[in-house]
Amino acid sequence: MKHVSTAPHRRASSPSHPSRAPRRSHVPLTATALACAAALSLVTACGSSGGSGSGGSGVIHVLAYGDAGNTVEKSIVDTFNKTSKVKAVLDTIPGADYQSKLQTVINTPQAPDVFFNWGGGSIAPFVKAGLLMPLDDMIAKDPALKADFLPSVFNTAVIDGRSYGVPMRGTQPVLLFDNKKVLADAGLTPPTTWDQLLDEVRTLKAKRITAIALGGGDQWPELMWFEYLFDRVAGPGVLQKAVGGDKSAWSSPESTKALGLLKQLIDAGAFGTTYDSVKFTDGGSPALLAKGKAAFELMGSWEYATQQSANPDFAKNQLGYSAFPSVADGQGDPNDLVGNTNNFYSVRSTTKYPDAVAQFLKLMYSDEFVKAQLAIGNLPTTTNTPKFLASSASPAYSQYQYDLVERAPSFQLSWDQAYPPAAMTPMHQAVQRFFDGQLDAGGFVAAMQALPTP
Amino acid sequence: MTRSPAAGGAGLTRPGLAWALPATAFFAVFALVPLALVAVLSFTAWNGVDSPRAAGLANWTALLHDPVMLKSLWLSALLTTLGVLVQTPISLLLGVWAAGHQRHRAILSAIYFVPLLLSATAVSVLWRALLDPNFGLPAQAPWLFGDGNLLGSRDGAIGVLAFVGAWQWTPLHTLIYQGAARAIPQVLYQAAAIDGAGRLRQFWHVTLPQLRTTMVTSTVLMVVGGLTTFDTVLILTQGGPGTETTISAYYMYEQGFKSFDFGQASAIALVLVLVATLVSLAMVRLSGYDAMRAGTEGI
Repeated sequence: MKHVSTAPHRRASSPSHPSRAPRRSHVPLTATALACAAALSLVTACGSSGGSGSGGSGVIHVLAYGDAGNTVEKSIVDTFNKTSKVKAVLDTIPGADYQSKLQTVINTPQAPDVFFNWGGGSIAPFVKAGLLMPLDDMIAKDPALKADFLPSVFNTAVIDGRSYGVPMRGTQPVLLFDNKKVLADAGLTPPTTWDQLLDEVRTLKAKRITAIALGGGDQWPELMWFEYLFDRVAGPGVLQKAVGGDKSAWSSPESTKALGLLKQLIDAGAFGTTYDSVKFTDGGSPALLAKGKAAFELMGSWEYATQQSANPDFAKNQLGYSAFPSVADGQGDPNDLVGNTNNFYSVRSTTKYPDAVAQFLKLMYSDEFVKAQLAIGNLPTTTNTPKFLASSASPAYSQYQYDLVERAPSFQLSWDQAYPPAAMTPMHQAVQRFFDGQLDAGGFVAAMQALPTP
Repeated sequence: MTRSPAAGGAGLTRPGLAWALPATAFFAVFALVPLALVAVLSFTAWNGVDSPRAAGLANWTALLHDPVMLKSLWLSALLTTLGVLVQTPISLLLGVWAAGHQRHRAILSAIYFVPLLLSATAVSVLWRALLDPNFGLPAQAPWLFGDGNLLGSRDGAIGVLAFVGAWQWTPLHTLIYQGAARAIPQVLYQAAAIDGAGRLRQFWHVTLPQLRTTMVTSTVLMVVGGLTTFDTVLILTQGGPGTETTISAYYMYEQGFKSFDFGQASAIALVLVLVATLVSLAMVRLSGYDAMRAGTEGI
C-alpha cells in the first residue's frame, strides 16, 4: 500500500505506529533534561536537537511526509543539489505523526524552509499566523510555476487570492470502484445515475450480497458519500459558502435533499449492518470487494494500489472503476470530482534563500519529476503529464484519471481537509452518527454549523 | 547493626537528603513543572502555532457545557468498574488455584501469563483483526455474535474494550493473588481441616480473609489502570462509534493532538488529575489502606 499514505491517513491514525520514540538523543537523558529545565524553554529547546536548524548555513531544509513516495523526493533533491550552490536537505516524518509534528515545529527556529502539506485547511492556520510566504512574486518571475499545473488542483493551495503551494505528488480523486465479476454475475453495469444505483442495491440485496463495502470504522470513508452527494445535488457552492463562514448554507433545501438521498441509500441496506466495525486502513473493506462479498466501494484512487499489493490478481482482472453517478435534477455538474487534489510544497516565510527555493520549486513541473512520479504509480497534475502517461505503472488507469481531472469543472478538496484541523474530529463523528441513525438530517446540519471555520 | 533494638539507634545514620535529590529533581522536571504549565495553558487558547493567547475561563466554561466531557467521565467510570468486576473474580480464582501443587499447574500458569508479555498496542491490533465481522471470529460463530457488528455498536464496543482489558490484565492480578495465596500459613488450613471445614469453607473463611489486603492492592491497580486506559481505545475504537467510547484520556488526546486545541486539552487533563486524586484518596480512606493491618492476624 505504498501511497495510500499520502492523504487519507493524515488524520486517521494508522493502527500500528508506536507512540513517540525519542529522536536523535545522543546526549544522556538526565543531562538533556536538566539543560532544558534550566533553560525553561521546553518546547523550543528540546523540540529537536539542533541538527535541522536552517540558519545561514547554505542549506534549505525540505520536510516531507515519510513513506514510499520519498524515493522521488530524494531524487529531485539530488538533481537540485547538482547545480545549486545552496544545498537542499530532505527531512521526513513518518506518516501518521506528520501533521502534529509539523504543528509543533513550524513556529520554531527549527522550522523547515519548504514543507509538504495538503493545501486548504491544513495550511490555513499557518497563513493566518503569517508563517507562510505567498508565492505570487515567484510566479510573476516564472509564470510556469502556476500555468504548468491543472488549475482545479493548483487552486487548492490558493488562500484569500494568494498562492501558497506548488503541487508536488499525485492527484487522488474519489472513484466508485466495483468488482466486475460480481456485477456481471448479477447482470449489472456500473451505475450512471443515482436511481440506477438504488435499483442495483436492491438487486444485489436480493442475492444476499452487500452492495457497497464501507470502512465506517475509519469514519472518513463515510464522509466521501456526503461530499459527492452534496456536490451532485447542489454543486460545489454549498461547501465553499460554508467554509467561508456562511453557516446557513448547511440548512439550504439542497442540503436537506442530499441528506435525504443518502438516508434512503443507508436505509435500503446498501452498506449492510456491520460497516462501523470494518475499516479501510486495516484492509477490511478492500477485502470485502476483492473477495466478492461486496459489489462497490467508494474510495480514493489509492484503492487501486491497495488492491494491487493485497490482491494482485483481482486488481489486474476484476477491479472496475467509474465516476460517481449523477443525480436527477441536481445542480452539480456530473463531471465534478471530490478527493485529494494533490499534495503541496509551501514555503516558510523565514527562509533565508527564497531564490534557491524558487529554483527548487521549478523542478515540480520538470519532465524528470513527472516520469519519476508516474513510475511509482502517482499521477502528477502538470500540463506535461499526458506526454508520459504511457510510461505509467498502469497506463489505462492513469489516463482515465487524468482525463477526469482535466475535464472536471470543480475538484472539491475533501471536507475534512478544506476545514481547519480543529473541525476534523467533530465532523467525522457527525458523519458516523448520521450513518448510525443517531443523528437525523437536522442534527447533522446543526453539527456542521457548529464546526470552526478558517 | 540494623538489628539494634534501640529506636532510632544512635549508631544508625539516616541517609542524607542528598539521596532524595535525583528522584525529587526528576519528579519536579517531569511531573510538577508540566503540571503547572498545563494549569497555565488551560486558561489560554493555543493551537501550537501562534503563541498562547489568554482566554480567561473560556476553556472551563466550554468544558462545563460539553456533553462529551461529562459522558467521557461516566464512560471512564463504567469501564473501570467493569474491569474490576470482571477481573477480580477470575484472577482471584486463578491465583488461588495456581498457588497449589496440582499436575501441569506450572505449564498452564505460564500459558495464562503470556498476554501480559505482549504490548497493549499489539494486543489491540490482534483483537481488532480477530473481531472483524466479515473475516474474523464473528463470521465463524454467528450464533454467538449475531451479525458481528461488535465495534460498531455502543454496547458491543464497550464490551470489547472491557474484554480485551481483562484478557490482558488478568494475568498480572493472578500473579499477585498467587503470591499472596502462597504466603498464607498452612497451619490455618490444618486447623480448619481439624474443625471439619471442607474446601469451600476453607476458601471462604481462610483464604478470602487472608487475601483482603491483596484485594485492596489489586483493586487500586485496576482502578488506576482503568482511569488511564488509552491505547486500547486508540486502536480498537478511536472513541467511536460516534463518541460512544470516548473516555476522558482519549478525549484529551483528541482535543490536543487531533484538533490542536491545547488549551481545552489542558483543562481536560486537569479534570483527570483532580478526579484521579479524589478517587485515590477515597480508596485509601475506605479500604483502610493508610492504616493497613497485618494480614496474618492470630498467628
